[in-house]
Amino acid sequence: MATLITNRRQMLKMGAALGGLAASGLSLPALAQDTRLRMFWWGSKERADRTNKVNKLYEAAHSGVGINGETLGWPDYWPRLATQTAGRNAPDLIQMDYRYIVEYARRGALLAFDDYMPSILKIDDFGKDAIDCGRVDGKLYGVNLGNNSTAWVYDAEAVKQLGLEEPQWDWSWTQWGEWSGRVAQKKPGYWGMQDAGGVEPSLDCWTRQRGKSLYTAEGRLGFDLKDAEDWFGFWQELRKKGAVPPADVQALDKNAPESSMLALGKAAAISTNSNQLVAHQALVKSRLNMTMQPSGGPGAKPGQYLKPSMLWSISARSKVAEEAVRLVNYYVTDPEAGKVLGVERGVPASKALRDVVGPTLDGQNKIALDYIAFITDKVGPLPPSAPKGAGEIAFLQKRVNELISFEQASVADGAKQFFDEANSILDRG
Amino acid sequence: MTVAVQASGRVERARGRRRITSRTLSGYMFLTPWLIGFIGLTAGPILVSLYLSFTDFDLLQDPNWVGAANYVRIATADPKFLSSMKVTFLFVLFAVPLKLAFALGVAMLLNKGIAGLPVYRALFYLPSLLGASVAIAVLWRQLFAGNGLINQALALVGIQGPSWISNPNYALWTLVVLSIWQFGSPMIIFLAGLRQIPRDLYEAAAIDGAKPWHRFWRITLPLLTPVVFFNAVIQTIEAFKAFTPAFIISEGTGGPIDSTLFYTLYLYQEAFSNFRMGYASALAWVLVVIIALFTAFSFLSARYWVHYDE
Repeated sequence: MATLITNRRQMLKMGAALGGLAASGLSLPALAQDTRLRMFWWGSKERADRTNKVNKLYEAAHSGVGINGETLGWPDYWPRLATQTAGRNAPDLIQMDYRYIVEYARRGALLAFDDYMPSILKIDDFGKDAIDCGRVDGKLYGVNLGNNSTAWVYDAEAVKQLGLEEPQWDWSWTQWGEWSGRVAQKKPGYWGMQDAGGVEPSLDCWTRQRGKSLYTAEGRLGFDLKDAEDWFGFWQELRKKGAVPPADVQALDKNAPESSMLALGKAAAISTNSNQLVAHQALVKSRLNMTMQPSGGPGAKPGQYLKPSMLWSISARSKVAEEAVRLVNYYVTDPEAGKVLGVERGVPASKALRDVVGPTLDGQNKIALDYIAFITDKVGPLPPSAPKGAGEIAFLQKRVNELISFEQASVADGAKQFFDEANSILDRG
Repeated sequence: MTVAVQASGRVERARGRRRITSRTLSGYMFLTPWLIGFIGLTAGPILVSLYLSFTDFDLLQDPNWVGAANYVRIATADPKFLSSMKVTFLFVLFAVPLKLAFALGVAMLLNKGIAGLPVYRALFYLPSLLGASVAIAVLWRQLFAGNGLINQALALVGIQGPSWISNPNYALWTLVVLSIWQFGSPMIIFLAGLRQIPRDLYEAAAIDGAKPWHRFWRITLPLLTPVVFFNAVIQTIEAFKAFTPAFIISEGTGGPIDSTLFYTLYLYQEAFSNFRMGYASALAWVLVVIIALFTAFSFLSARYWVHYDE
């Protein structure tokens, strides 16, 4: 330390060096522009590349506008957004999730799009459902960035190599379980399905097939203790038969594509979102395909539904709201932007855009597009946005499934614990 | 080191009696950048968090005063408070003594006057420099994974190891091992302490026919107790605050089945996953009190087992 700076000249040199360092960190073109937009989204590198490319296109077409994009993974995204919102420093464009939109909109953090329709935001051809999913208390706070649904993504090549048939969209939960067991018999250390007992969207589907739901419109649990017992019991049964990965293998899955049973080479099929097929494909060499969640059998209600994979929202405090709305419109209606974005954020809600983008898609993107088209007449209505605490309950479900699989609780005790703790989380709000 | 601290303490006391002179004023002026940082980034937030711990602040809405409700919930109705406390206490209880014993052992080996001591010292210190970093936690995750290096090594001798980090019975222990491996900084301090023990004591003991074990037990350890004490206090506080390894290895979940849900990780989840800033602030203050009690207890007990050479 003492020898670091020995005289004034060195001090000045150090200062100049530091100054240079600071200057190089600035993005210089930023200084020349009049309108600056901050954009924030979660997602993979794939998404970041596509988004940055669209932003460049927009900047090129609108001189005087600059976009500062920022991205994080899902778990880090929400704390950052909440702290920025609390600090009254929210980004102009916010990638919003259906789960959080009510919370943010009711707290006055988001801008209502209604005044800008249809003058700037032209989304009439979305159809009523695809628009209304962004409404809270009658006003539009989020613009649908793409439709998706949940799905089981599976390694079609591996299944073929084992000499087994690919899972079908109308297979029941039992049929899936038997298939999973056959995969495990053919190849030791490999299973057909992941253990999805801790996967919230699959439980969601299971309850809806029984004519119930994960949550009611009033924000309470929409299923009974018996349903929870059946659910955890179903997976326990498969584990006992060795048809799904054992507890300490499944526990490696940390709810990220990189640690999925599919990416780790432990299971042929995993429960995920349809727009994430692209992300999963990026992680494995063999060809992936996807199909619907297992069916509820004859007489069952549709378990799945189409939902906005994500929405664009604008901060209520944005000083450049009009330009931000224009950019949102660009993302969801412009053919050039649409071709770059593909179906990575879900299938475009605009029919016109779908018609333009569709023919340009290749392999996996085409599968994702066709999947949504295929299931559209097999799904039920979009449920109301989940209540506060739903994220915590999703973690609880994973933990309870681990309690049972590591044999620290029986199915009945685990289900009871899940039910009680979930209720107390909802009570607390 | 102790000498330097004592000396500067004397100087402080001597100056304290005088009024603020231009000299002390200029001292404070030089401190300004640090003071601004301290008040703005440390002291200020600490006070605000004390206030927030009595509110229901959730980041998005303005905080409402709820009195002691958060503290009441911690004390009476929060099972995760107890389970995360248990994880943290287990960690402190095992990681600290094992790490200190290991550090002392290595320090004694290095104190034998081997050639190239500075090189070894630097090498052994390296893990401590890297220890709290994300990269090391990621490395640890790879080492102890089901098909990681540890199990590959075990497979060579015919043992099929479990998936250490994804098994609730072992996950915490991988973190204890990680902590022990970062023995560098207590080791350096032990080494300095060992150097201060007068040679002639050992020579006298050797003449009296004392075995190596006796020499360690009767000379080394008693004379080293001030250093042991210092290390124990610092390492205990560090262990209570441990966060990064558990956060990275469990990817923020504290799993499997909350087996690595350290108190600090639970606090983080409440604050940043569940947005209960008020409640998390209360949890933080409870931790402050617990660490303070532990430290106070250590200092009170010190008079019975720490020998100062006075």
